[in-house]
Amino acid sequence: MTIYNFYLFDKNGTLLYYAEWFRVKQSGMTREEEGKLMYGMLFSLKTFVTRISPMDVKEGFLYYKTSKYVLNYFETPTGLKFVLNTDIVSPNNRDILQQIYSQIYVEYVVKNPLCSMNEAIESELFKTKLDEFIKRTPIYSVRSV
Amino acid sequence: MADESLIEFLHAEIVKYVIDSNDDKVNTKCSLQKYISTLEYLGYITGFRIIERLTREWSPFKNELETMKFLCTDFWSSIYMKQIDNLRTNHKGVYVLQDNAFRYLVHLSSQKQYLEFAPRFVAFTCGLIRGALSNLGITCLVTAEVDQMPACKFHIQVQRS
Repeated sequence: MTIYNFYLFDKNGTLLYYAEWFRVKQSGMTREEEGKLMYGMLFSLKTFVTRISPMDVKEGFLYYKTSKYVLNYFETPTGLKFVLNTDIVSPNNRDILQQIYSQIYVEYVVKNPLCSMNEAIESELFKTKLDEFIKRTPIYSVRSV
Repeated sequence: MADESLIEFLHAEIVKYVIDSNDDKVNTKCSLQKYISTLEYLGYITGFRIIERLTREWSPFKNELETMKFLCTDFWSSIYMKQIDNLRTNHKGVYVLQDNAFRYLVHLSSQKQYLEFAPRFVAFTCGLIRGALSNLGITCLVTAEVDQMPACKFHIQVQRS
């Protein structure tokens, strides 16, 4: 089981943070372009899911899965979007994203007066804490090659 | 009891407000001194008042050291939800209070990053200590030293008349 990479977008689509652990293939574009592409896709998917849904939508878009990976999506009421790519055998990873939000983003970005909330995150502490957190998760440590 | 983070956000905004209103682009060195002393003064008034409330059920302190101990335990935990980690003194009126995880720095950094911004987040607390001691009859000078965030040392120098 593996965690590949992580994206964090604000409500306007700015890529606030990106981190990767076991990403094998790069997209062949700049991180900025990739972020825009990713955000655009998420935005469309969200709208699509809400429109097409045959019943009232509660949570909307949660994740998608290909034959190789799962993209886990978590959006807060304030419009922050957390995205985590994992492999397909990993269990539901929503709670991981929720914890990243409440224990790391809120603690080390929101409560850091030197961090602007609509620009890319520069804080080393946030970076360290996120990395530690991901490496502590069970799906990171039990890794099948 | 208000949410703990309320005071943190408010403190951050006070710091920002004081800095913005003192922003003097001609002479930055002078404005640094100016906003630090404004923040210190705000802390002084707050400390002076809050000590009145905190000690209402106490009998007067025996000596200076007892006062400092009160500051490190009850005073600190009622404001920062933890006690001072280390108190040292040379018994000649100099006290060093060390907090290894100072509340206003703990979310900032754990290394050298943002170290240049540390003074603005400790100035208020320096004043807080000075104000509290002043109301307890101890005139002193309080400075803070930050080597490695989030640890902070407060140096208290008692002025003997």
